[in-house]
Amino acid sequence: MIPCTDFIPAYSELFKTLERLGGVAAVEDFWHHLARTYLTDLRELVRTHGIRGCWLYWSHTLNEEAADFTMELDEAAGTFEIRMHRCPSKGRLLEFDHIEPYHDYCRHCDVLYRDILEPLGFEYTYDLSHCDEARCRLLVRRRAAEQSREAEPALPSTDSGRESH
Amino acid sequence: MTKLVMRRRAADNRYLHKDFHGALSCGIGYLQEHFGEDAVRQYLRRFALTYYAPLREQLRARGLDALEAHLRELYEIEGANAVFERHEDELVVRVAACPAVRHMRERGFPVAPLFHETTATVNRALCEGTPFEAELVVYDRTTGRSVQRFRRRSA
Repeated sequence: MIPCTDFIPAYSELFKTLERLGGVAAVEDFWHHLARTYLTDLRELVRTHGIRGCWLYWSHTLNEEAADFTMELDEAAGTFEIRMHRCPSKGRLLEFDHIEPYHDYCRHCDVLYRDILEPLGFEYTYDLSHCDEARCRLLVRRRAAEQSREAEPALPSTDSGRESH
Repeated sequence: MTKLVMRRRAADNRYLHKDFHGALSCGIGYLQEHFGEDAVRQYLRRFALTYYAPLREQLRARGLDALEAHLRELYEIEGANAVFERHEDELVVRVAACPAVRHMRERGFPVAPLFHETTATVNRALCEGTPFEAELVVYDRTTGRSVQRFRRRSA
């Protein structure tokens, strides 16, 4: 079997295989497929908890992936940010000298999470400019229309569990 | 409204994200559906030949000791119950339940029909260009229970 600790090079090789067989379109189609069928946790968490769902999702995954990061949630401002100081996936790929990473490996994070978050009313900005150093920045911002909707007084029955700090 | 900050360094956590098994299974399923079964086997073979090239070199140099060490570490990391039977020119590994399949079943991720090729094809590729050959003797698709045999090729 392939242990989960060897998944990243397997994933990179999968992207290479897909590009060889069906071009970049096949790789991108797979990323869209993954967003639809595999990233259901993120979608459900954001549907249920709003932007806090991002915090809940990445708190789990980034810790299990032993990432080096700073993550910030500001519910009042409607923003969620990850500053990845050392991406465990790209960092791992860069450490290997016997395999060549897929040339556009990091872009899957742009496609996957955009597919999930934009239809749910969020702007998604992903800065890949330092991905060759395994650094990136991800910013999720609630759209203005969603902000004003959430700022409206909520019905008592739905507001009782809301935190206020 | 809440404002939260989390700062973590790599050393703060152990690297073990088992949901990756679900993503790999999703990839294998996609590859089979769009490009056929052979594409799945070619992909896994190519991955194993390149990524595990240092292990294959060790297998050529040290024999089955190298492979046994690799598999023991792998199943220990994944927390699997694996029993190793070792003879001079043969290694048999009995895995009570594949930890990847178990995790996917628990989490509700679909298990790709060809997911067993992550064992069968990868093991065969590990042995390519070495004096050994691999066989997936038993595989239960529901649990991933398996018996894997590696032995020296007959002359």
